[in-house]
Amino acid sequence: MAFYADKDYTQDQEVLEKMNQVMAGNLGLGWYDARTEKIKGRPRDLRRGLTYQDLDIGSYGYSKIPEFIRDNQSMVARGSEKVGKLPDMGYVLNRKSDVWSDNVTTLYEEAKSRRWAPAVDVPWTELDRNPLPHELEAACAQLYTFLQECALVSMDFPSRWVPLVNQDLIELKSFMCAQMLDGSRLLEAFRKRALYGGAGLGRASVSAEQGLKEWLWADTYPQGSVSINLSLAGLLLAVYRHVAAFAPSRVDRRLMGYAMQDAARQVSYGLGALRYHLRHQPAQAAAMNQYLDDTEHVILALLGSPELLEPLIIISGGGLEREQVKAGRLATAKLIRLAVREYLERLEAAGLSGRPGNSRIPQAIERIQVEA
Amino acid sequence: MAVSFPSVEYFEALREKMAAHQDKFQRLGFIDTTFGVSVANNGKSRSFILEFEVYELKSVREVPSVDPRQVDFVLVGDSRVWREMIENIRRNGEADTSHDINTLAHLGEQLKIVYDSPDGHDKLYRFMESIQEFFDLTSQVDVSFNQ
Amino acid sequence: MAYLATRNFLEDKDFVDKWLYTIRTGELDLSWMKSATEKVKPHEANPRRGLTYRDLDIGNYGFSALPEKVRENRSYAPRGAEIPAGVPDSQPWVSRKSELWAFNTESYYEEAVSRQWNATTDIPWDRLESAELPETIGKALSQLMTFLTEVEMIATDTPAMWLPRLNPDFIEVKAFIAAQAMDEARHTEVFRKRALTTGWGLMQASPMNEMALKHLRDADSFSEMSVALHLVAEGNVLTMFRFSEYLSPTDVDKKIFRLVMQDEARHVGYGMQHFKYVLEHFPEKREVLHAHLDEAENISFAGAAATELTESFIILAGGGLKRENIEEGIRITTIFNLKQMQEHFERLEKCGMPERKERSKLYMMYEMGKAAAEAAGIRV
Ligand SMILES: [Fe+2]
Ligand SMILES: [Fe+2]
Repeated sequence: MAFYADKDYTQDQEVLEKMNQVMAGNLGLGWYDARTEKIKGRPRDLRRGLTYQDLDIGSYGYSKIPEFIRDNQSMVARGSEKVGKLPDMGYVLNRKSDVWSDNVTTLYEEAKSRRWAPAVDVPWTELDRNPLPHELEAACAQLYTFLQECALVSMDFPSRWVPLVNQDLIELKSFMCAQMLDGSRLLEAFRKRALYGGAGLGRASVSAEQGLKEWLWADTYPQGSVSINLSLAGLLLAVYRHVAAFAPSRVDRRLMGYAMQDAARQVSYGLGALRYHLRHQPAQAAAMNQYLDDTEHVILALLGSPELLEPLIIISGGGLEREQVKAGRLATAKLIRLAVREYLERLEAAGLSGRPGNSRIPQAIERIQVEA
Repeated sequence: MAVSFPSVEYFEALREKMAAHQDKFQRLGFIDTTFGVSVANNGKSRSFILEFEVYELKSVREVPSVDPRQVDFVLVGDSRVWREMIENIRRNGEADTSHDINTLAHLGEQLKIVYDSPDGHDKLYRFMESIQEFFDLTSQVDVSFNQ
Repeated sequence: MAYLATRNFLEDKDFVDKWLYTIRTGELDLSWMKSATEKVKPHEANPRRGLTYRDLDIGNYGFSALPEKVRENRSYAPRGAEIPAGVPDSQPWVSRKSELWAFNTESYYEEAVSRQWNATTDIPWDRLESAELPETIGKALSQLMTFLTEVEMIATDTPAMWLPRLNPDFIEVKAFIAAQAMDEARHTEVFRKRALTTGWGLMQASPMNEMALKHLRDADSFSEMSVALHLVAEGNVLTMFRFSEYLSPTDVDKKIFRLVMQDEARHVGYGMQHFKYVLEHFPEKREVLHAHLDEAENISFAGAAATELTESFIILAGGGLKRENIEEGIRITTIFNLKQMQEHFERLEKCGMPERKERSKLYMMYEMGKAAAEAAGIRV
């Protein structure tokens, strides 16, 4: 893999001469009249600072990125003058509609602005003052073990692709970096929560991990993005809201409040990216439908894994007593229906019509019953 | 002096408190969403549109009804639910878990979230901590109930 | 590339039936409750810092207990969880601790999360309205910013590429890389934003420096990547930020460089602590790293031929294009160039590679450069 320089520069007369000339005060100033657009960007709204939207100007703007980026394979900053021999960095995502979403700059700015820090923003020690009953704490430990597996995959996904995205798509790459940090922060927060409660970690989930790997390793970015940014993040968003609503402690409620904000940004991007993709590549709708037909079973791999389902039932019911488990089952069944309904709504809104009819998930959900 | 709920004055009072607590809201981050609040009472309802921008409530106005297509989402509920929420906040200084917006709206059993597009709906969660913090400011406002 | 799960879960009747049965009857299996995992009780060592990764360094959950070769976990399971048979292989390329570990990795990450800043709101952009720069200074600043925005994102792409290849047991390193990715995105952003507010826009690309970027990214191992990126390249950049802060034509620019410097010092800190760690724990690697440094230093030296950067630096340092400005600019730039090299070798020495000087061609160039500078009356 290694890339070696074309020669030994310490011995290269041309380089030494160039350097000596400059250091002797003979400046070439070849860059001084760079053929680039002269602009002076300014913040539109001082309260907001200087955003990427403020700089969507002329040849520098992201609005002007062409659908096919054919003239840049190096790391040159979009809008600067290209000179000399520039390297080919081997980008494979060179088509704007494979990755772009109209809300990407908004989401990037929002991610920075709405950052948080798990170490200090969660009132951890309240768990010492008000420890949870054993079975509830054990359920939390298991839930947060499961959520770490999901967060790890959510962090790996943008990391995997970001070096392959053309440098001209800088705002999008930046958003992917924000997603990496979001993923890492959730992984951190869930680990801290699981261990702080005193019950240790629980068990990894075979079905969930098998499914997550299928989604993470998708062949193409648009497919992987639908799976990770829309399906997985959407499902987790519903779970976070649910755990917040049935939070056994203020620690869990606060933690889930932050988690839902991060997940909702991810979902907004996932939905926006699919919409942009289908709008510019309508022929991909059939392939995407086929991909979902093949991989939607992962939704069940996650929802059906006992490592998620059972702790959810216990947490929503408040414990392991018969009545509690019943209440927990009722609430969890509602959560599952809600998550699937929202998933289908998002696909529809992104322009992938007819999914409720094609998907096999709704049929599976219809079979859910809760006995007294 | 107490402000009555529901009314533009109530939201205006929260707006003032929000302006007075900018540090808190700046720490939570940009809040860019416009949503509706509908309060039903005996078959009638009063509706409001709240427009948030950067760290502030930019405007609030009362409308005959909210068209979900004009806003990101609408929080719809019976005046009894809203009143309980407000009283809970007044008592605790902030909503407890059973009375926060997320819990009340989660399964649609207390408050309903009405929306036209999922993009708008997801904004409720993108800005949840700020929205909750906004309603929690009720703890600093005297509220009376006129319905 | 696609991976297929070992089962299609919609078609797995037993799996679906069990799921429906659990919800219908409430007969929970609860076998996960008996997970054979350690029970620990962490506490906040310093409540003002909150709950940190270091506070979780307990028992087999802790990073201190990580073995040199991770043999047990290759899945997506969090370190310390019970790992049942049947979990997939996440295909890590790096499962050896000394290949990537750094002393204090966890605190570099915590610091990163705690010290995140926002290029949009933390820079007083409005003050630029009243700060008109002379053309030469404005253009030189824009050229410097063009170079910086061009190179910053490589420090995302490069470690990001490795992140999914690291064994998931190395969470703290993965976390550090995720935070670094965000730091570098912010650097790209702040420099781009500054270039686009000078009135001159972006200027000219730097082919010599782009070659360095390609070299940084395409390393054969994580450790080599880290040495070239965190130690050599970011070390150089850190020295550059310090000088740039000093040369900044406005207080807005000063603020920008102060903020990026904090982040950069963290990345270099990780790089140094890793370098130290790998030399101590993986002695066979020393020769490999020497060989990689030969290449990295060669490319680092080639950067001297990037005249578009040197010239803009000279103009900023001297305050203009007049003869006396240029003379002063050259004096400061000479000191800067030598300082960059000097600090590079100091870092290597501090980390346990004092013999580098004897082998390095760059060090020879440094000594020659220093002698020439002193002969010209420039004291470093
Ligand atoms: Fe940087
Ligand atoms: Fe860096």
